[in-house]
Amino acid sequence: MTGFFKTLAAAASFAALVATPTLSSAQELPGNVRLVIGSTSTGGDTYQNSAIVAEALAEHLDINIKVDAVGVSEAFKALNRDSRGSTIMIFHDQSYLGHLYGVRGYDDIFETYKVGPTVAINPGNAYLVAKNGPFQSMEDIIAAASAGQRIRVAIQPGGVSEIGFSALKNAVRIAHPGAEENIVAVNTGSQADKNQVLFDGQAEVINGSVQANEQFTRLPQDDQKAMRFVWLTAAKETIAQANPEGLGDTPRDEMLAYVTPNVSVTMDGAEDFVFDKEFFFLYNKDMDPAIVEQIDTALAEIFAAGKIQETQKASFFIPDFKPSAEAATYLKAKRDDYRQIIDAISAQ
Amino acid sequence: MELFDILTPLFFILIVVGTVIGIIFGAIPGMTATMAVAVCLPLTYSLGLENGLALLLGLYVGGISGGLVPAILINIPGTPSSLTTTFDGYPMTLRGEGENALKIGIVSSLVGGLISLAILYFFAPTLADFAIKFSYVEKFLIIFFALTVMAALSSNMLVGIFSGILGIFISLIGTYDISDGGNGEYRLLFDFMVPYLDSGFSLLPVLIGIFGLSAILIEAEHGMPAGQGLSGVKLPKGKPFKFSVFRGQSVNLCRSSLIGTFVGILPGVGGSAASILSYSQEKHFSKNPEEFGKGAPSGVIASESANNGLTGGALVPLLSLGIPGDSTTAILIGAFTLQGIQVGPLFIGNNPVTWDVIIIAMLAANIVMFLIMMFAIRHLVKVVSVPKHVLFPVILMMCVVGAYTINYGIMFDVWTLLIFGVFGYLAHKIRLEIAPFIIGFILGPSAEIYFVKSLESFGTLSIFFTKSWIAGVLWLLIIMSIAFSIALSRRNKGHGQA
Repeated sequence: MTGFFKTLAAAASFAALVATPTLSSAQELPGNVRLVIGSTSTGGDTYQNSAIVAEALAEHLDINIKVDAVGVSEAFKALNRDSRGSTIMIFHDQSYLGHLYGVRGYDDIFETYKVGPTVAINPGNAYLVAKNGPFQSMEDIIAAASAGQRIRVAIQPGGVSEIGFSALKNAVRIAHPGAEENIVAVNTGSQADKNQVLFDGQAEVINGSVQANEQFTRLPQDDQKAMRFVWLTAAKETIAQANPEGLGDTPRDEMLAYVTPNVSVTMDGAEDFVFDKEFFFLYNKDMDPAIVEQIDTALAEIFAAGKIQETQKASFFIPDFKPSAEAATYLKAKRDDYRQIIDAISAQ
Repeated sequence: MELFDILTPLFFILIVVGTVIGIIFGAIPGMTATMAVAVCLPLTYSLGLENGLALLLGLYVGGISGGLVPAILINIPGTPSSLTTTFDGYPMTLRGEGENALKIGIVSSLVGGLISLAILYFFAPTLADFAIKFSYVEKFLIIFFALTVMAALSSNMLVGIFSGILGIFISLIGTYDISDGGNGEYRLLFDFMVPYLDSGFSLLPVLIGIFGLSAILIEAEHGMPAGQGLSGVKLPKGKPFKFSVFRGQSVNLCRSSLIGTFVGILPGVGGSAASILSYSQEKHFSKNPEEFGKGAPSGVIASESANNGLTGGALVPLLSLGIPGDSTTAILIGAFTLQGIQVGPLFIGNNPVTWDVIIIAMLAANIVMFLIMMFAIRHLVKVVSVPKHVLFPVILMMCVVGAYTINYGIMFDVWTLLIFGVFGYLAHKIRLEIAPFIIGFILGPSAEIYFVKSLESFGTLSIFFTKSWIAGVLWLLIIMSIAFSIALSRRNKGHGQA
């Protein structure tokens, strides 16, 4: 038996020796990383942006990163299960807006997870009307609602799609207290559903995006499918960073006509509401800070090299790298701003 | 770039590779065309748009077509849209006509694919304009029409309707998702179920559990003598395939292909509804409806021409409105966005070369699919002669792997497979009707969303009757379908008593 224990001790020592480099490498991203995203669509902006970042990060760190479009619920579950860094997540403002709007399955990301670096902005969040309809601008819409007309706005409730709707409602409340009741949400799912309710005359305004709806804005007025941009929620400075040719046949300068200050949706009577849809990393709460640092450093080097910005801009994303600590502070402040709007209209 | 510069040997090699991989994905229970396209999507980065499309469209056509192989040979639909292929394909296999059934299915798939491709090429923008006339109301009525099939597919109408409603009920377990326009609230869930069932039961694990695992459990109960093949028949016993089997089937082929194409054009209605509707219509118009479900070749023709008809149809809204027509084209749209190409109402006019490339790739993929599957049949069909004690563990393993991977690695999907395998076994024992149950499960969520959204939009039930002339036509079809089911049930009862 003594011999057996000696052998066992030797084996344990050997295992410890072998494990030493493994333990030290546990402070780095493993060789195979699963990047889950909060969307099930591979045709959407979350997948597209994550694929760009994942490719650059994988190349830079010489590891494999696989983007999995598992959706919000499964992505959060996967993130909760894994603190080793083999599962990380990219999502956007929906991750905290869902919590603000009280949607099931959304915890407070600042409490439950580690917030990682921001990587990009999609400046395309837009509101549109039918081209042959009565409204030409947001001014018309706010005036109509203030005058008592019911304005139906097609959105997907509980997040990015709703925040512009909340801002519009808030702006009408500030202009004509009580008239905000005339801004009514039509809850829909996909962009196809939002377009369809506009075609059917079941909504006066829809939430959409430059990417998905730009071609519809170029159809002739007598086409049932023709739409008109009335508002892009992005900041003027954000759109100004896009390539001059813009997207499709809509150049950057034309897009600037749909953002503040040319379109005013007031937040508090003094400042206009803006919303930049930002993409950022989320990590398991217990993930090693060394891995957070490793990703921050790698992304800083990638963005310093400048190549990723070209790829992002070609796909109508605005490069937006902020390291983890800065990103967390910034996003918390952003969350607090939007909480005020939501609270203001909820209090009515 | 000129069209002929794009049509390189690599372009056609990628179509062949895509189609072969697609057929393999489709033929493995639990793996689907959608999954094949999703797995290969990142490759389009390095391949470029046109070559990427060649690969992905090959995967799409191959994946949809490959689903008929397990549906016919082992009674497990390889994809949800090949559900109705099992109804007559597998009984044909049991009669020793598996090879015959496969060839009928493949030819039907080719015809369906080509008809829908022609429609895509000549009428895409016009059809997109027609598709937007279908609001929530009309889409609900189409789903309702498909649900009326439950009665026609049941041997006991009352039990069939009960089974179908049970399927709808179980499909609604989980969150009424905000991404569907819902309120994000849980339905039909106890608190302890929430961590597992907040997204409900996934379709594919349910499907392969009920069809695959339950069949294995039933066979296991009977015992498996060593060396006995799946169907217990020798291959050469069946009738040889002759194209004459299609004599008198031209109406069925065209109607089913058109139904498939039409359903594909309507975003959100889904491929399963296409084959269910085509199958039921063929049964309604058949001189011998009682033969359906017992190995009628026309049932296989209806199902397969419809689900391949879907391929061209689903590309109509994608390329004319920027809206995917089914789950696979929803992934396919990623190939365009990853290359920075906008798809929308101006896509075809702005990108004539890409448009031609898509049409050529689809045409080539259909032809390649036909040639490869016709060649492979003689090998595939041997699966029925593999001893059960070897075949069943392999099928079980494939089912588990398929269930685990369908949503990118969720263990509860494997439990779903097992739960519904046992459910299918018990349902067989107590004579619940499985086909209506599955149809209810597949169509239930769409029926709910379109019904609720119709009421939210219009505020009155009368809108289902007054919305448009299309609604009127759909009601007529619904009434005819119900009347036919009742008449068929009475006729069957009469035969039973005689």
